[in-house]
Amino acid sequence: MFLRILDRLEEILIATLIAAATLLIFAAVVQRFAVGIELLYPIFYPINLTWAQELCVYMFVWMAKFGAAYGVRTGIHVGVDVVVNVLEPKIRNKVVLFGLLCGAFFTFVVGSMGAKFVFELYSTDQVSPDLELPRWIVFLCVPLGSYLMCFRFLQVAWAFWRTGQLPHHDVAHVEGVDEVPALAQDASR
Amino acid sequence: MNSILIFGLLIALMLTGMPISIALGLTVLSFLFIMTQVPIEAVALKLFTGIESFEIMAIPFFILAGNFLTHGGVARRMIRFATSMVGHWYGGMGLAGVMACALFAAVSGSSPATVVAIGSIILPAMVQQGYPKRFGAGVIATSGALGILIPPSIVMVLYAVATGGSLGIDPEGKRVLSASVAQLFMAGVIPGLMLASLLGATTFYRAWKNNYPRMERKNWADTLVAFRESVWGLLLIVIVLGGIYAGVFTPTEAAAMSAVYAFVIAVFIYRDMKLTDVPKVLLASANMSAMILYIITNAVLFSFLMTSEQIPQTITSWVTGAGIGWVGFLLFVNILLLAAGNVMEPSSIVLITGPILFPVAVSLGINPVHLGILMTVNMEVGLCHPPVGLNLYVASGIAKMGITELTIAVWPWLLTMLIFLGIVTYVPELSLWLPRMLGML
Repeated sequence: MFLRILDRLEEILIATLIAAATLLIFAAVVQRFAVGIELLYPIFYPINLTWAQELCVYMFVWMAKFGAAYGVRTGIHVGVDVVVNVLEPKIRNKVVLFGLLCGAFFTFVVGSMGAKFVFELYSTDQVSPDLELPRWIVFLCVPLGSYLMCFRFLQVAWAFWRTGQLPHHDVAHVEGVDEVPALAQDASR
Repeated sequence: MNSILIFGLLIALMLTGMPISIALGLTVLSFLFIMTQVPIEAVALKLFTGIESFEIMAIPFFILAGNFLTHGGVARRMIRFATSMVGHWYGGMGLAGVMACALFAAVSGSSPATVVAIGSIILPAMVQQGYPKRFGAGVIATSGALGILIPPSIVMVLYAVATGGSLGIDPEGKRVLSASVAQLFMAGVIPGLMLASLLGATTFYRAWKNNYPRMERKNWADTLVAFRESVWGLLLIVIVLGGIYAGVFTPTEAAAMSAVYAFVIAVFIYRDMKLTDVPKVLLASANMSAMILYIITNAVLFSFLMTSEQIPQTITSWVTGAGIGWVGFLLFVNILLLAAGNVMEPSSIVLITGPILFPVAVSLGINPVHLGILMTVNMEVGLCHPPVGLNLYVASGIAKMGITELTIAVWPWLLTMLIFLGIVTYVPELSLWLPRMLGML
């Protein structure tokens, strides 16, 4: 139950962030144009969007950290599997498990380093240049995202140990191929 | 000595099949902990600041735009337009496939996305018309690679990002800045069109030799209708390239604009996508972008380590000391990148090798823009052959063909690409002429 909520939250967070960042930059560009038009100048001039770029970057960094955790669950992080795939199944399983645990270890170390860093920032009063957000809030995505990613690696490793199945991001699967004949006729008309 | 240790560890970790990003990060961590006194805080800071740049954010925007375009009926209308233009020649549908790929490449920054968008529609149509499956799959898998050469291109953004912080000194001792995204985009136009023509010529020749079916000639009225229908998609080319060239947008802004624009035409103008499909597209784009951004984060860490160990400088002085000219060096670069293309996917290769090759190339007088285009073409070749060529896997999913069969199917076009790679490598003007004419170089 808790896991299901976590999964959904993760998905909603990253999808919202990418949508919001896109709209934000779009709005900033539109505003810049509108200011250039004399008629609209009085309406748009007072709107100050100089902070848009900074916020966009922060939103994407947050999206990257949590999206990377989501990516472990969907198996999108690709590695070099040419050698592993020709190994004997028994050895292969061990190597794959080692890889997953390395992932968990690395993200744990990074998360802890990030946590320490955020903790030190918390005692300072550093703020970001345009938005003037406290720096420690901005950096909070490093420990949170990395610990979540660590958890996802452990989850995947556990599932692999139990069932021998890895999440697999299927590049060869193409959505909508089944509905293609209609389109195909359309194109060959 | 240290460099051997670093690369040895990296390669050993990568061969276990763990994600490349994790292998890069672990190499840096273990090396810093064991061998050096670099404060760990510097690393923690880099983990965040590594991707804290507005330029990099073009990548998620282009991915989002590409996904909207793929699902939004833009590709179908481009195919119809291309078919009405070249369908009556030998191998008409194949040629239309190449042209549609080139058109779609001009709005999308990714090769596999181009294969999906064009291939999933045109491949079944080709089979229906009596073309052998192999021919169709071969054309689309290779032409889809145009996606990263014809701007916009995610690989070019990655190259600009990867080499942005490197220190390059040219033979006269002046500092050389890396190529900007805008320069690379403009430089990709002519090589992109040239490769499209070469692939088209190969298609034409094969179809003429085997006497594949042609379509009846469409009259001009039909062509005009097809053009009018696809004009919304084609307009995006003007927005992105024109906007960047005229200085109206930065590349990142252009990417964001094209994402919003693609959303609007997919949902409100062509209405091939329902509003309820949008969250799925957003999630898929976020997933893909986060993966690339995560590799960038760790690649930045890795290049930080290399810089602090002075590895690029060591290689540079060794190469200049050994008297290797730019001709020999570029040959070596091609071989290295083609070999890397056998085991890794493009974004990782560019991010890892970019910062190493850039200072060496610059010290031999090679233009950073030229190096960027050359690397992009190398990545294209890597996408089209096994074992990791992503285009092949996507095409095999669409055509329901095995990878082995597909490997045989692509070879005429792959050979064309290799010849093209040779031309791009040793004729720098091909990449440099347009940006210079536009006064961007």
